[in-house]
Formats: sequence, C-alpha cells, structure tokens
Amino acid sequence: MDDIVSNHDLEELECELDAAAAKESRKARRRTAIQDIEPGAEWNDVEHAILTRRSIRKFKGRQVPAHMIRRILEMGRFAPSQGNNQPWSFVVIRDKAMIAEMEQYCVAVCKNMTATIDYTNYPPGSEQRAAIMENTQKLNRDNPNSFHPVPMTAIKSIANGRFAVFHRAPTVILILMDKRGVGVPEVDIGVVGTNIVLAAQSLGLGTCWIGFSKLLSSNPALVEKLGVQAPFEIAEAISVGYPIGNPTQQAISRQTHQIVWWEDGNKEILY
Amino acid sequence: MSDATVRKASVPPDHLPIWDDPCEAIYHRVTIDLDKCDGCKLCVVVCPANILELFGPKENLKARLKGDANGCMSCNNCYAVCASQGIMATEPYDFAGFYEQKQISEFMFPRKF
Repeated sequence: MDDIVSNHDLEELECELDAAAAKESRKARRRTAIQDIEPGAEWNDVEHAILTRRSIRKFKGRQVPAHMIRRILEMGRFAPSQGNNQPWSFVVIRDKAMIAEMEQYCVAVCKNMTATIDYTNYPPGSEQRAAIMENTQKLNRDNPNSFHPVPMTAIKSIANGRFAVFHRAPTVILILMDKRGVGVPEVDIGVVGTNIVLAAQSLGLGTCWIGFSKLLSSNPALVEKLGVQAPFEIAEAISVGYPIGNPTQQAISRQTHQIVWWEDGNKEILY
Repeated sequence: MSDATVRKASVPPDHLPIWDDPCEAIYHRVTIDLDKCDGCKLCVVVCPANILELFGPKENLKARLKGDANGCMSCNNCYAVCASQGIMATEPYDFAGFYEQKQISEFMFPRKF
C-alpha cells in the first residue's frame, strides 16, 4: 500500500508539508523578534554616541553644512511625544549678526541680574550683601531652580564676559514649544532635543543645550524678529558646530544614582 | 565626600548656599597628574567653568586649577579631550542646605551590564 500514492494523497501531503513549514517559519520569526545581547557585550552605535557625547562649549569657526542641520532636525521630527502631539517647531540661526544680537541681549540681562541678586559681589558681613541676600532668598523661594548656585556662577561669568551664552557657535537651533501641548510639553522638548543632540554627535558635530536662551523671551521685539509666534515660546536652544579638540577620545566617569529595584517581593537599593 | 556631609549638617535645610564660600559650595574636585600632562592646553580651552590655566616654563607647560576660581561642575570635558588621560574630576559638586545632592554615589566609568 505504501508505494501506491494517488495524486489526491500527494496534494494533501504537500498541503500538510506547506502548513508545517509555515508554522515553523512563524515560530522562527517569533523567536528572532527577541534578540538578547550577552552580558558585558560591546557598545552598539547608539550606546557609543550616548557615551561619547559631551556638551561642547568651544567651537571651530567653520560653519556646518546646511544639509547636516536639516538632517539632525529630521531626527528630532521622529521623537516620541505625549499623545503624538509633537508640540515643537524650530528656528535655525546661522546669521552671525542675529546671533550677536541675541548674545548682546542675554549679556545685558545677566549684567542686570548680577547687580540685583548676586550677593557675592560684596564682602561677607557688609550691609549690601545682607540686603541682596535677603532679596535673593525671597526670589529663590519662588523660583528654586533658577537660583541654583551653578547657573548663578554662569550668570556671573556671562556678565563678566568670561563665558558666551551661545558659545560663539556657527549655528544655533531654537526649539520652540507649543504651550497647548498634551500633558507636559516641556518633557517632549527634552526628548526632541536629545534626538537632535545624539544625531549630531553621531555625525561628528558638537552640541550644547543653552538654557539661558529663555532670557530672550523677555524681549518681545527680538522674539518677533526671530519669527517666534504665539502659542509658541522659546523653550530651549542647542548650539551646533565643530568641536575644538577631540571630545570623543574617551568615555568619562560620572556619579551613579540610586535605583530602587523591586523584584520577587524584595526591595533592593542599587547604584 | 564624608567631609562635605559633616559641613552640611551645620546649615538649615532651606539655606541658600554662598557659592564663593568653599565651606558651602564644594567644587574643586579635579585631579591633575603632572607626569602625564603635556601642556597641550586642550583642557584649558574646553573647560566650561574656565578654571584651568597653564603654568611653568614654556618648554614644560602644565595645567593647573586657577587659584581663586571655583565652579567646576565635574563635567569631565577635560578628561574627554585629554589624550594622555592626565586630568579627571572624580567627585560631583555639592552644596549645603537646600541644594545638597541626594541619592548620588561615587563616580564610575560606563559599566557593561
């Protein structure tokens, strides 16, 4: 019986074989969907870009080609956002006179700020110091983040001319935020900027986040000139250029942060 | 860092740190290996806080911290550009009172888990 096989039987057998093959291939596809790396594996390209990214504050004079800026902005376009709302738009400034105007305004604001809130301008124990300290402490209660000692030191350096707000970068990207964004649009601005910064890093460009760009918002004429219109506001800026030296020479060491780790009903503190 | 903890205990938690007082604003935590330093000046150029300078005879320049400067935020840009790995920030900046750093431990290089 075994060696007599009808056409019908053959077709059935083929169908069965096809079905089995399809099942196998489905299984294989599902298996390949999970690709765990071995513990201690080498860094991949994305990890490498993250680890070698530094905030670059000293740039070469050479302008970045326009297509590269378009390319990194394109990476920003594909950033995740709350409700896929994409509450951002951009202003790219490659005009030296415009950057100089922005810089000039920020320096003027910083000069004004140091005069009114920097108590370290006066010697300890002096009356002026006590008066300004009191004023600053009041302001600090309302805006604790703005009066952190690190930006305070930076404000002082900017006012002294030791430190340029936009780091004399050839290109400055302003990230504008739609105030009506879903949830917390500030977070989305952070995410879009991170995409831009990492893409730039992978292309050999240097970037730096410029939080002081917010100072520009207090000058309506300049804001209008830049092309910022409500409901958009200046949320952040990123300076882009070619870094001086080779900041990707080696990954740096950094502090570790607490991780509370819950697993199998146990709580652990890791660093 | 234990030294800093002792000093922190003496100020009220809402205290605004005085950022030119080394007892309250703890910045200087950069170590420079003078044997490795070749005086290439890159760290001096990239330092965002502008606290480094060169010293010594022209043929044997070395980097050092400026005497009165503070503001090192342990960004380690100096280490990143240094070809001879002669400079490194090994502790985070820290402040007394309200801005005291919390839930932070020592510096580590990227770990391959």
